[in-house]
Amino acid sequence: MEHGAAATACPSDPALAPGSLAPDFRLSHPRNASLSLSDLRGQPVVLAFYPPGWDPSRGEQIAQYNKILTQLPNLHAELMDFSVDGDWYDLRFAREQMRLPFLANPSPQPEIAQLYGAEGREALFVIDADGVIQWSYRAPVGVPPKTEDLVEALRLIAPQPKEETAAPKAPRMALTRRDFIAATLAMAFALTLGAHAAQAEPEAARMGATPMAPAMGVSGGDTMPITLTVNDAAHDLQIDPRATVLDALRERIGMTGSKKGCDHGQCGACTVLVDGRRVLSCLSLAVAQQGKKITTIEGLAQGETLHPMQQAFLTNDGYQRGYCTPGQIMSAVGLLTEPVGPEDADVRENMSGNLCRCGAYPNIVAAIQDVRKANTNASV
Amino acid sequence: MHPFSYRQASDEQSALSGVSGQPGAAYLAGGTTLIDLMKLDVQKPSQLIDITPLPWTKITELPGGGVSIGAMVRNSDLAHSEIIMTRYPVLSEALLSGASPQLRKMATTGGNLLQRTRCYYFRDITTPCNKREPGSGCSAMDGYNRIHAILGTSKHCIATHPSDMCVALTALDATIVTRGAKGERRIPINEFYFTPGDHPERENVLEPGELITAVELPAMPFTGRSHYRKVRDRASYAFALSSAAVALDIQGGVIKDARIAMGGVGTKPWRALDAEKALIGKTAGPDAYKAAAEAALHGAKTHKDNAFKVELAKRTVIRALTMAAQKTA
Repeated sequence: MEHGAAATACPSDPALAPGSLAPDFRLSHPRNASLSLSDLRGQPVVLAFYPPGWDPSRGEQIAQYNKILTQLPNLHAELMDFSVDGDWYDLRFAREQMRLPFLANPSPQPEIAQLYGAEGREALFVIDADGVIQWSYRAPVGVPPKTEDLVEALRLIAPQPKEETAAPKAPRMALTRRDFIAATLAMAFALTLGAHAAQAEPEAARMGATPMAPAMGVSGGDTMPITLTVNDAAHDLQIDPRATVLDALRERIGMTGSKKGCDHGQCGACTVLVDGRRVLSCLSLAVAQQGKKITTIEGLAQGETLHPMQQAFLTNDGYQRGYCTPGQIMSAVGLLTEPVGPEDADVRENMSGNLCRCGAYPNIVAAIQDVRKANTNASV
Repeated sequence: MHPFSYRQASDEQSALSGVSGQPGAAYLAGGTTLIDLMKLDVQKPSQLIDITPLPWTKITELPGGGVSIGAMVRNSDLAHSEIIMTRYPVLSEALLSGASPQLRKMATTGGNLLQRTRCYYFRDITTPCNKREPGSGCSAMDGYNRIHAILGTSKHCIATHPSDMCVALTALDATIVTRGAKGERRIPINEFYFTPGDHPERENVLEPGELITAVELPAMPFTGRSHYRKVRDRASYAFALSSAAVALDIQGGVIKDARIAMGGVGTKPWRALDAEKALIGKTAGPDAYKAAAEAALHGAKTHKDNAFKVELAKRTVIRALTMAAQKTA
């Protein structure tokens, strides 16, 4: 594999060679006290330099991490969550109770990239608990990040999970959920779709999104020209056949209303209507939907007038956090045209494909029943 | 997901020629299993032939009273079909107990027949699995095997067949109609699936490139008195720990004929012929059902975490028979 040669791609600068002390730096973040690399002594650290647009708190990248971790059988760890502290990501793994500080994309402070010879390119440095560089990799400028390199980096630190259980010395400030979501939404590019940075959609650009980041670990196949009809508007896309409808909607067309929950057809957060039928956009290939009419949560309201189901969710307080809500509403709209019995129990059974950890279920049932009763009355 | 090329089949011939002789090519129908497994790198086709444009979307009555179901009929449409609900309620009930409304709108009849196991180890490419990687070993054998099979297992595989629909089709003696390089084949469902034996990677008799075009249900006068009972870890939207599809022909309180198939316990949809024999000629009632349940689980082989399934499956069969008997034929 190519990354077998990664070690030889290490910095020629002797100050950065494996075995040398990692150059210290101070990160300053407006919301947080400044933090030095040396403050993290006592635990391994991964420094990762990526092109702009890469954000490990994104769902796709979390999935990617888990994929990487499954390739490390000795680790027996599953990535559980992130806390974000300024420019640091604290990766938490299950089972081993391991925490790994991960500096990613320190682009706000270009002097750090400069210090590590990583301007404008992918670079990874694994620094051990004593602050010594154990492994490093710098890709040539313009070469997209590769999953394999991250695997290599994590493999190095995998055999010593015990050392990593030490509590971080640096104080950590947890990001609020709202900040986390905002940060996540701000990064509008899918890993799986990212192989063609040059083809980023003009719509996406208008929405203020950063250009598409190159994909990690995918040697993009040929793309295909397709036309997707979404909410009665045609969208011409040049798209990788692997792209799901969900990814096409969110990452190419810029409609982020449909949510990515599990990405495996188990939660319903991605529910959309295709030709009026509720389906899971995460298990539907975009290339297979030509000539079909896709309706998303963005397409329900008529101008400023909400769809009756949207209004009923509002009236009945049918949401808590709201992440499952677009899928719940689309599923509920689909249900209206199906043979579903009149009882609450019938609604519950027929909404069972939309799972959430929230406490909104009773109010969702009430909202749906309101709309169904209104429809029945209207048609009598 | 590994890269692949994509093409839509315009007709049966272009579908067959797209996959025949193309190792790595696969048909795409509803995609609910395939896309999921491709995301997990469990399946890595290099080419997808989308067969959803093919016109096998009808449910038609056959001369002689049977029914033909096109391979592309979606699970939700099949479940709500009038003819299925009245003549073969067990099939409608099985379909509606499976997956979620969204998945049922996507999944097809042909695709459901080829659903892959939910064995955790099959779905996890970092663990050995004889089904996914022949010869690599079975992680479930000494692993966490609560959901695994107790009937039809081998020393190489104890993965459960996950489908509800196929359990009902097995009870109904369905015939699977296929089209391949050698023309049309008609395969009784009980001869369609292999038990794992020495080759867990071979799950059914389909030849490479062979395509399911329809499923036929024979005329069976008593299938109006049929029922599907499913037991799972939550009230809805979960795979069966145990299930039973049954049909009863009761005349004057005596069982004249019976069909019993089980799900969640077998390495394939499990027809319980001995249990059916145990019922015939008996007075319909708890004693007969209990004897049938005992016969159905005869020879069950349990592992560390799934011994509970023996009793659960017996009770499932008894309950299904009890419920079916209460229906009017």
